[in-house]
Amino acid sequence: MGCAVAKARFSINRLPGFGLIAVATFVMLYLPIIILVVFSFNAGVSQSHWDGFSLRWYQAAFNNSQVRDVSLRSLWLAVTAASFATILATLAALGTTRVGRFPGQTMIYALINQPLMVPEIVTGIALLIFVAAIKVQTGYTGMGYLVAAHTAFCIPFAYLPIRARLETLDHALEAAAADLYASPIQAFRYITLPLMVPGILAGFMLGFVISLDTVVITEFVKSAGQDTLPTYMLGQLRRAVTPEMNAIATLFLALSLMIVTAFFFITRTRGR
Amino acid sequence: MSQEIEITGLNKSFGQGAAAFHALSAIDLTIATGEFFTLLGPSGCGKTTLLRIIAGFEEPSTGALRINGKEVTGLGPDKRPINTVFQSYALFPHMSVAQNIGFGLKMLRKPKSEIKATVAEMLQLVRMEAMADRLPSEISGGQQQRVALARALAPRPRVLLLDEPLSALDLKLRKEMQSELKRLQTETGITFVFVTHDQEEALTMSDRIAVMSAGEILQLGPPQEIYNAPVNRFVADFIGDTNFLSLRVKAIKAGEAVLELPGGKQASARLPASISPSVGSRVTAVIRPEQAEPTPAGQGEMQAIVESATFFGTDTHLHLLLDDAQGFVLRRQNRPDQPSPAPGTNLGLTFAPGALRVLED
Repeated sequence: MGCAVAKARFSINRLPGFGLIAVATFVMLYLPIIILVVFSFNAGVSQSHWDGFSLRWYQAAFNNSQVRDVSLRSLWLAVTAASFATILATLAALGTTRVGRFPGQTMIYALINQPLMVPEIVTGIALLIFVAAIKVQTGYTGMGYLVAAHTAFCIPFAYLPIRARLETLDHALEAAAADLYASPIQAFRYITLPLMVPGILAGFMLGFVISLDTVVITEFVKSAGQDTLPTYMLGQLRRAVTPEMNAIATLFLALSLMIVTAFFFITRTRGR
Repeated sequence: MSQEIEITGLNKSFGQGAAAFHALSAIDLTIATGEFFTLLGPSGCGKTTLLRIIAGFEEPSTGALRINGKEVTGLGPDKRPINTVFQSYALFPHMSVAQNIGFGLKMLRKPKSEIKATVAEMLQLVRMEAMADRLPSEISGGQQQRVALARALAPRPRVLLLDEPLSALDLKLRKEMQSELKRLQTETGITFVFVTHDQEEALTMSDRIAVMSAGEILQLGPPQEIYNAPVNRFVADFIGDTNFLSLRVKAIKAGEAVLELPGGKQASARLPASISPSVGSRVTAVIRPEQAEPTPAGQGEMQAIVESATFFGTDTHLHLLLDDAQGFVLRRQNRPDQPSPAPGTNLGLTFAPGALRVLED
């Protein structure tokens, strides 16, 4: 009886063609990446003809001092920008969820999330013009521009999980802390902050991955000799595509996967 | 007895001008030290707002609030010798049961040894010794309730506020916690201010009850008084079950009204000071379902016919139709030698003097 009812209910995966579309989508998503990874182990230089297994392209990548430099720069930039972005996003999340409603709240919410809506190329060009003007005025051409640009760009990505976490926190917990003689600062230190940690970690990792990944912002803001891994790879591809690029891309992919996995486990175990 | 809480001329409104909502109007209330005091009323009557004002989560719009003789308006909840058991318990999810209980003492900067000793004592008091290292998510709802109680009692507050603490528990557990709460209150001697919408809970546990509606205290007194002598229709209706009868006044003498019962007989009832009906007008009178007794047909003050009977285990509710077609519910204790009358049976009704009361509408 119960079974018959379940069968009668509409279910999208019973529509004809559902399985085909699903398979095609996954193929489109993952097949190119699988091919890229497979050919990073190719003994030959071809991207289409398998010449046997080899780690020569990984060796080449590790021995390439340029690759080392841009990778370290990418990591440093991602850690720095994500840290700043996380601190600012945490403050923004507290300011938008832990106070009463105030006029312009929706407006502020929209403004914080602006980078999610503005096309990245527009932000890039705007930054190019803006940063160029400052460079001319000050003569400073250091990493500060990239740090500032990446930080600003990462804030909304860090903000979303932190805000989501704060919204699920019962206000009664802070009331209970105050009731048990905690000053507002103590209530934050002992209750709100520890409970925010999963959100903050998630925010940091999202910001980190976004900073690591962005090509457009970096391309328009960087000065000479400030290539990150993505902009370096883009530059190399303009010349010749050797499996060395596949090897670098595969390592990059592995790093991203590790971060996403860590992110998943941290939010799952700390999130209760 | 000394006064623990004194509230005078307290008002609370939310919002401004014409859109303002008056949550509490002209509350005057004194709660004695060591009393189990209950704020009882339907949701939206202002009882929780009053509790939040006592706790310090809300400030009154006007009026004074003294705790142990000291004015506390303007002081935050962390500056008042009061702890709260929240409706949602609000246990800190990242802290163990023991850490939860010790939190207040830690904030008061008590020495570690004292905190440890008090936590152990509190765990014993609420019979949760075995659960000290569990997280709140690892214990049952009833156990969480006990931890919330222990946490609020640990700093030995002068007053414990309880905001519908039993509403999330199932019936059996609720009964258990009712006697547990009463035991804790007697053992600790702390003043309890209990908020509930459950009239039975209020009647069984309280020393005194304040019945609230629409931001006002309608009646204040011990449970027996509230139950037996409700001041108006709302209180009578809210506390327990009641038969409301619309009766004609035949005569008035010395604060008593002689009323015409359905079927023509007369009975007198004391008139509350607040109403003075004219002879010939109708007033609202009440009789509790258990304060009337069935008699053989033709005897008693009123005559009725049984419409239906509902079995409740210990007793049966007989739904009757009186002579003038007004409904009446009679509660009759079940006894194996006296089967309840079948629908259609004629019977008489009698009641003790004092059971019939005239009420303000």
